[in-house]
Amino acid sequence: MTERSSLLSLSRRRLLITTSVAAAAALVATTGFNPAQAADSPREGGDITFLIDSLGDTWIPNNSAISSFQGHIWGHVTDKLLYVDADGKVTPWLAERWEQNDKATEFTLHLKSGVTFSDGAPLDATAVVANLDIWYAGRKAEGINPIGLFPKTYDRAEAVDASTVKVFFKKPTLGFIPTLGYHGSILISPKSIAQPASEQADLSKTSGSGPYVVESWKEGDHVTLVKRKDYNWGPAAVGHTGPAFLDTITYKLVSEPSLRVASVQSGQADVAYNASPQELKSLKEEGFGISTPRYLGFVNGWAVNTTLAPYDDVKVRQALQAGIDRQEIIDTVYTPDWKLPTSFIQSNVPGATDQSALLAYDPAKAEKLLDEAGWSKGANGLRTKDGKPLEITLHSNPYLATSKSVDELIAQQLGKLGWKVNIRAYDVVTYGEKVKYAGPAVPTYEVTRSFIDAGTVASILTNANNGENWFGLGESDAKLNDLRDKIAGAASLDERNPLLDELQHYILEQGYFVPRTQIVQRIYVQSPTLKGEVYNGVAYASYYTAFIAD
Amino acid sequence: MSFVTTSVISGSRSRAWLSAFRVPPTVAISFLVVAIVIAWSLAPGLFTQYSPVVGIPADKLLGPNLNHWFGTDHLGRDVYARVVYGTASSVSSALVAVVIGVVAGGLVGLLAGFFGGWLDIVLARLVDVLLAIPKFLLAVIVVTAIGFETINAAIATGVSAVAIFARVTRAEVIKTRQATFVEAAFLSGGSRSFILWRHILPNASRSVLPLAVLQFGESILVIASLAFLGYGDPPPASDWGLLISIGKDYLKWPWLVYAPAFITILTVLSVNRISRWLRKTD
Amino acid sequence: MSNAYLTYAAKRLGQAVVVILLAYVFTFVVVSILPGDPITSVLRNPQNGFSEEEIAEIIAAQGLDKPIAVQLWNSLSGFLTGDLGVSMRSGRPVSTLIAEVLPSTLILASTGLAVAIILAMAVAYGTQFVPKRYGQGLLRGFPSLFLSVPNFVIGLVLIHVFGFQIGLFRVINPDSFWATLFAAIALGIPVSAQIAEVLIANLDREAEQEYAAVARSRGIGRARLFATHLLKPASLPVVTVVALTIGELLGGSLITETVFGRTGIGSLVQRSVSTQDLPVLQAVVSLGAVVFVIVNLIADLLYPLLDPRVKILGGKKRTPTTADEVSINTTKAVAS
Repeated sequence: MTERSSLLSLSRRRLLITTSVAAAAALVATTGFNPAQAADSPREGGDITFLIDSLGDTWIPNNSAISSFQGHIWGHVTDKLLYVDADGKVTPWLAERWEQNDKATEFTLHLKSGVTFSDGAPLDATAVVANLDIWYAGRKAEGINPIGLFPKTYDRAEAVDASTVKVFFKKPTLGFIPTLGYHGSILISPKSIAQPASEQADLSKTSGSGPYVVESWKEGDHVTLVKRKDYNWGPAAVGHTGPAFLDTITYKLVSEPSLRVASVQSGQADVAYNASPQELKSLKEEGFGISTPRYLGFVNGWAVNTTLAPYDDVKVRQALQAGIDRQEIIDTVYTPDWKLPTSFIQSNVPGATDQSALLAYDPAKAEKLLDEAGWSKGANGLRTKDGKPLEITLHSNPYLATSKSVDELIAQQLGKLGWKVNIRAYDVVTYGEKVKYAGPAVPTYEVTRSFIDAGTVASILTNANNGENWFGLGESDAKLNDLRDKIAGAASLDERNPLLDELQHYILEQGYFVPRTQIVQRIYVQSPTLKGEVYNGVAYASYYTAFIAD
Repeated sequence: MSFVTTSVISGSRSRAWLSAFRVPPTVAISFLVVAIVIAWSLAPGLFTQYSPVVGIPADKLLGPNLNHWFGTDHLGRDVYARVVYGTASSVSSALVAVVIGVVAGGLVGLLAGFFGGWLDIVLARLVDVLLAIPKFLLAVIVVTAIGFETINAAIATGVSAVAIFARVTRAEVIKTRQATFVEAAFLSGGSRSFILWRHILPNASRSVLPLAVLQFGESILVIASLAFLGYGDPPPASDWGLLISIGKDYLKWPWLVYAPAFITILTVLSVNRISRWLRKTD
Repeated sequence: MSNAYLTYAAKRLGQAVVVILLAYVFTFVVVSILPGDPITSVLRNPQNGFSEEEIAEIIAAQGLDKPIAVQLWNSLSGFLTGDLGVSMRSGRPVSTLIAEVLPSTLILASTGLAVAIILAMAVAYGTQFVPKRYGQGLLRGFPSLFLSVPNFVIGLVLIHVFGFQIGLFRVINPDSFWATLFAAIALGIPVSAQIAEVLIANLDREAEQEYAAVARSRGIGRARLFATHLLKPASLPVVTVVALTIGELLGGSLITETVFGRTGIGSLVQRSVSTQDLPVLQAVVSLGAVVFVIVNLIADLLYPLLDPRVKILGGKKRTPTTADEVSINTTKAVAS
């Protein structure tokens, strides 16, 4: 359950003023150019090519919206009801304003008028109801999945009039509003939604209301987007609401990272996605734009399985926490663009607090803790207890390209302390089958996960209320349960933030979560002439505001 | 250093050996290469002082120099050491592939050729099926089915080679069976198993041997190709194919690709040369 | 056309059909061992946040748990009626997916084959003209070298030299003329080795034949002897060898397409393997077998018509067909 966002307590009028100010500030902060200059310098026209490692699997909107790859295309072809910026600030978009009842079981959304889908259908209350329904339920028998993070407490939605939607929940659901800005919540034309799954899988048959429409696409090859000239409903937060500047954006699949970068370097393309971090330094020196936006979410790190010996021992977990040299990871695998973790959630998430002291590299402390826990170092440098070696198996996360390198480096660091480290690297499918939170033979699960609101964090850590039981604790840790319940019941941010701080301290101090680095899951290398792109809360680049400078 | 001394010793030895047996110089060099590769796989520690797993992160991505003949990788590990230590896995997986191909294929071919009749027809069709599926595609499908690991890649490669060995063995068996001395053995009342063991198998194996040696080289390449596509062991394994596959992500530092690629090519070339020589001296 | 030929043709046709059907069943069995499937893997993407119960519910709703035999029957009857099913990964018909990428692979494979044949002929015929002193041995070593270089290494080198250094083609436009040609070179080089081996072996054998010796004794020049006497008989078996390399071309396209970023059958397989998309894999492997069998059938049926020296030995048991014979010659030639 999510906590009330600070915005909700503001009046409507103040809200709009605050957001436009925030929007301008965000624009300056994220793009780094002078707004006065920006007002007249964006040049109309131009085409860009964005090189991407994959175009994901299916294009059925519900099944693909959260894909790390397809999200780029959906971000340009569709709009959302709300906008979430890189700092987690929620601002109006197609929903101009909203209200809720006291129990947070009924919400009223007031829609912007005059918005249309690219197939001509109006984006009105009926269309929003159709979207809410399919997000919640999907059409499972047909292979259309529900949106995973959409509140399960959804009851129904009604179109009150053309621009007003009333949404009913079975239980209080404060998380509803932030969810509308999540990358899964993309608005699709009702005509497209009504199509059978096999038609929805054809991207060119799906219509959104975004600033671009699909001109052509070929599976596993490219998607070309062309500007929609009558678009006039961009999010105020990005400082521009009219049609986009660039005429076309082509997403082209090039699976080798080094070839993507070399193509941008040789002027054959404009943006290379997911470059190897090692190449960034020299690219920056050559004048290429490098962006390593951090999404709102968990840092890259391990959820430790407390059901598996010896990780049921707090001292061993704490030794793990102290035995990892996070600075060396950044120096070796990454670049200074990556940040040391300060907690188990990214430092840009509202509510994150600085727990760096708990994450300091202290091999002497780690060795001492292991000695105390009864793991003694043998002649070969490995620690044993009752004849059993101190062992850990790392499962490299297939969703993060650098995961294997980090695992190898950590294996060396832990090796010095006497740990025997095995590395397993499964493909995405096998990983999904075999590696689960607190799964058997999975001592640590490597987390790469974004979220919209820090209030949702506490509830997924245990197994209460459909939680994911990350540490295998179930209901056994009274303090964690207590914090979880208090956070869920908090009435304001002032009440919630100290609780969140306590939660972060407790989880790290117990060694339940072992952070590695703050996560950058999306790396962009772009040509020096391309300017003005904006990164949202899930670190997707939007070229809606981008232009080619002379 | 140790590398140089060893090569000098084995070099002079093989030169003496070569003059005694009239081995062409290219074949001698090939044997030398193979000998070094075998030595690397048996005792990698003798050839390098560096660890293939633990590197010095501060020394990452150094170019080839006197201390690091093949440079260092993205974690500061000596690439030469990684190549040397990766040899055992590359060589043994190729061996596994050949053994599977020779044993399974040889058995099928032997049975089909020796007994003939309906057994031959059935086995021949099965071999046709295996032959009809593109070899590399077959290997990819099999490795997907049994899991992405080097040993599974080796098994997949072996399976994809079964058909060719079955065919060659069958043809050789038929040829030998029809030869006068075998007919004579039948006439003089030799038992089937005796004739199979004593006459047919040795004859068939003579032409299978060069093919097996050739297949060894090809298996190294196929397993490397599978590793290139990502169907290999997890880190810190350093099979040659894996090294090339990892290196391709760092093309700015080309030695990461070219050093292991060079060793792979040299090894396969040597093996092919030996196979050709075996064929000629047969 | 003789009766023996028709009997032979009918027999080969029957064999081809049996082989295709068996290949389909074989692939189905292997592919059904695959542990996962793309639908579950999409559901398990951590960003989705589905719980295990929810995943099980969605899977059950789609009825993905029928017995293997039923699935095989459905799949095989679909295949026989031309219905290849629906991709589990993308939700689109498999036939559409294949139709989309087939042209690109056909262009690549045929260019690759052309490169391979030209290269093989250049090398093989070169061995007949280049004297021993001036590098004939080197030329003879070429096929061996071609067989020793992994084609992904050739591809990486070509891309870097001609794509980035010289700038002949753009990596992001892999279907352009130059990009296709260089991809074809990477694909064709290992294939050319096999053709060259057979050609060289045949040329050497023909050159040792009595008629060649007679011709030489009558004072016919090297070039004329080659052109009028050796070329045709030595080159004819290549028809069959080329047919056998079809599988090599299809398999090699998997790597070449990945390296050059082409969208073809190879990259489709690559994507389907990584998500374990069974219907697509099944269809592609079966189609590969169909192509291989048909091409070889044509080659076998053409061969006796092209080369009158080949006699059809119908009826006699255990006599290898031409395909058997030549395939053994190929592997032997490659081994020699």
